[in-house]
Amino acid sequence: MGSRIETLNAGGYRSDGRRQLELRDFIIDLPTVSSSNADGSAVVSHGLTTVMASVFGPREARLRSLTLHDRAVVNVEVGITPFSSGERRRRGRGDKYILELAAAIKATFEPVIQIHLYPRSQIDIYVQVLEQDGGMLQASINATTLALINAGVPMSDYVAAITCGVFSTQPLLDLTSLEESDVPHLTLAVMPKTGKVTLVTMETRLHVDRFEELVRLALLASKVLHAEMRTAIRAHTGELIRAMGGSRLSRVPDREDAPGDDDQDEAMADA
Amino acid sequence: MTSKSESSYIQSALLSDPPCRADGRALLDYRALRLTTGVAALANGSARLTLGGTTILAACKLEIEDIEHAIDATDGRRISCAVSCSPAAYPHHAPAALDELQHDLAHLLNAALAHAALRPANLTVLPGRKAWLLSLDCVVLADAGNVHDALFLAARAALCDTRVPVTRPVEYRTPLHAGGVRGDGDDDSMGMGMGVDTDGAGLDTRHAAHAADFELADYWSEGAALEGWDRWPVCVTLNLISTTHFLDATPQEEAAVSLRLLLLISCAPAGPPTLHGTRLIGSGELPPAQFKSLVQDSLTYAKELKKTLDAQMHSERARRQSGVLR
Repeated sequence: MGSRIETLNAGGYRSDGRRQLELRDFIIDLPTVSSSNADGSAVVSHGLTTVMASVFGPREARLRSLTLHDRAVVNVEVGITPFSSGERRRRGRGDKYILELAAAIKATFEPVIQIHLYPRSQIDIYVQVLEQDGGMLQASINATTLALINAGVPMSDYVAAITCGVFSTQPLLDLTSLEESDVPHLTLAVMPKTGKVTLVTMETRLHVDRFEELVRLALLASKVLHAEMRTAIRAHTGELIRAMGGSRLSRVPDREDAPGDDDQDEAMADA
Repeated sequence: MTSKSESSYIQSALLSDPPCRADGRALLDYRALRLTTGVAALANGSARLTLGGTTILAACKLEIEDIEHAIDATDGRRISCAVSCSPAAYPHHAPAALDELQHDLAHLLNAALAHAALRPANLTVLPGRKAWLLSLDCVVLADAGNVHDALFLAARAALCDTRVPVTRPVEYRTPLHAGGVRGDGDDDSMGMGMGVDTDGAGLDTRHAAHAADFELADYWSEGAALEGWDRWPVCVTLNLISTTHFLDATPQEEAAVSLRLLLLISCAPAGPPTLHGTRLIGSGELPPAQFKSLVQDSLTYAKELKKTLDAQMHSERARRQSGVLR
């Protein structure tokens, strides 16, 4: 046999040169001019995994029979390009894996989006996976969060998702596809301000002693991702304000308690 | 969906003298064409093309196909095309309608590109046994009119960007023994003794005269370009309105026009242009005399379109070679 790729070597480095708890390059692209008529869109990359999310809505539902009288219907569709992975694989619309991904994204966002503000409407989220190298669900959720904010859909908080795994008692964050096939791992989606978890998925076997530590690390990682997302949104909003002729307005302040960021504590105290 | 009054407004503007369009273009003007190649790192060739607002992502992947044991006797070197329409490009379509549209576009691409005459010669790996199967996948990311032209342009760009790994056939030889008896003199390629063989393996290898395996000539090289790249057609969509026609319609113009003629034309540098296929979309009639003149006109348009695309591909290649990031 040739040399085996080590998931975590003796020096503490992973197969792609990262440290144990180091995240991959997180690149956010919020297009100022969207070629499609989407209300909001975002392209997010975690290292080599690139996902594009487009949001349409809230808008009139295509079929009246599918609407709900008191809230909006969230509809998610996922597409994976056949050339996204090393081996070409064409997945149809009814593919089980795709349906599972879409259901996970829908379950993540339904409690977060304020759907009670839009009865008898539909919010469509279209996710397109352009390149995959592990963390597809994580990247899809992060891209969807940014696309929803870009579309102006009111949400309770950001949703930041991260994968975490364990390599013989050592926790790892943000796994590549090589690591995902090697170690037990889970995907966690967190609302960073309150630390509430909206999604936990795991398909491998993990010792229960490791679980608590992984969740704790995932919460820390989600705060890091949240900071990046906030920076990107603020930069994008600043550009829009300038483009709309707001040069007289001062630059959007980047304080923790800046206006526009709802303070969750009062709302939580009432609930 | 456009209303009747909007349709007639657009039609009367197109038929007026001078004709005017909503974005100020002439009847035969195309919108801005932007091309980026090498967008899919894991594909053998890829291109992202934007025509006005219509965005198409096309990529080619090569797989080895075993043609020796294939049910239908083909030569291999097939090109197989598939199209996928993102729901973001067609937000008002039902999922079933999207599937139909995908299927329709894929059928059009296959009918044009999968033709036996267009099969590249350098896709053969082992003659009669193994060949590359080229899978061309296109994704329509946004549709702002004229998706057929954009699709064929993107497909052509992706095919031209494709690099085929160079392989060489490998055969296994055992060393000749001094006492081995030779069989037929001309079957020497295996280098094994035939007939009565006291020292060799005793196998009759007369039928396995050709190499059975292949290897990559150079592991690190991307490969060679596909052969026959100047034969692939471009699509010209002529939107027909009474006696005139116009090119590159926006969605509103497409809805206002009832008849469209698609022509697939390839212009090799040597020789006359060839017509690869036609399709008439919509309701209406086309007199044969008008058809003939339309074909003549479209040969000129196809040449221009191909020239523009080739210029963009050339500048893209130069940009990538010089290492400038886009």
